[in-house]
Amino acid sequence: MDFPDSAPYVIAYADKTVLKISGVRVKGLDTRSLEELLMKKLNSVVRVIGVTGSSVDMDVYGIDPEKLLKDEQGIIEAVSLSEGITATEVARIAEAKRIVEVDYAELEGKKRTACARERWAGHD
Amino acid sequence: MIEKAVILPTGQEICDGVVIDTDSPEVMQQLLRLNPMCQVERRAPVPDAENLIAEAIDQASEADLVILIGGSGGGRRYSSTLCKDYTHSAMELMLEDFSSREIYGKNGHLWCKLVCGRRKGALVINLPGPYDEAKAAMRAFLRSCEKGKPDLQAINQAMAEAVMEQYPKVEAKAGSLA
Repeated sequence: MDFPDSAPYVIAYADKTVLKISGVRVKGLDTRSLEELLMKKLNSVVRVIGVTGSSVDMDVYGIDPEKLLKDEQGIIEAVSLSEGITATEVARIAEAKRIVEVDYAELEGKKRTACARERWAGHD
Repeated sequence: MIEKAVILPTGQEICDGVVIDTDSPEVMQQLLRLNPMCQVERRAPVPDAENLIAEAIDQASEADLVILIGGSGGGRRYSSTLCKDYTHSAMELMLEDFSSREIYGKNGHLWCKLVCGRRKGALVINLPGPYDEAKAAMRAFLRSCEKGKPDLQAINQAMAEAVMEQYPKVEAKAGSLA
């Protein structure tokens, strides 16, 4: 994919499921190692996009939420193998949601004020 | 030739030690591969606060190159447990001249915004937090530098394309939101 010189943005039409694991204790996590463990298990691309002391948010490309939820225990076990994560007894998939496509034509003219430049006003 | 570089990781999760900063060693390695004599300083991570990131950029701008890592997406706007992403907005505040590229998902979310610009004598760039994306963007940046003296737009474009290539099976559509 090339970015034409005149295009300040590009829309990536990739299918992904946002996966959130909660009920874990996280300290000193190597996110790359966690991604590798899950990519091996799921045979797909996984990106860690957010981590707190008790949860991990990931993007899982090309796998349906239903499939992830069906293998919840296996995923928790795989996650807990990663150094820096300990699964507690309440560890679970808190969210597995496929992203929903929006009609960009409806957003024309709005995006500039509704994203990076809004400085999170009203979103705290 | 880049003789002095400063790496500025950002993010509360890095500051708190919840996540290990694996991007900075990768960036340092790439810089040293290009120029073994380069002085590379990895500074303490900066929390997700626009004023602190802006201040860190200012303090680092005596270097030839300043590399910010993380905070390049939409962050908390799209998920309450994500950190606020302020790196790109702080850069836009501080840079005297810059080029930027945004990658949105088909869900309308900002996945990544890359900015490349100058402050005082320093070239300032940012990298996404995910390791593979940071590594690819840094490689693209250094390849651009090896070609001579590319302009900000060319560097920015090469880095954005490298990040795009990290998304699997992606179809892309370019456009203007001006």
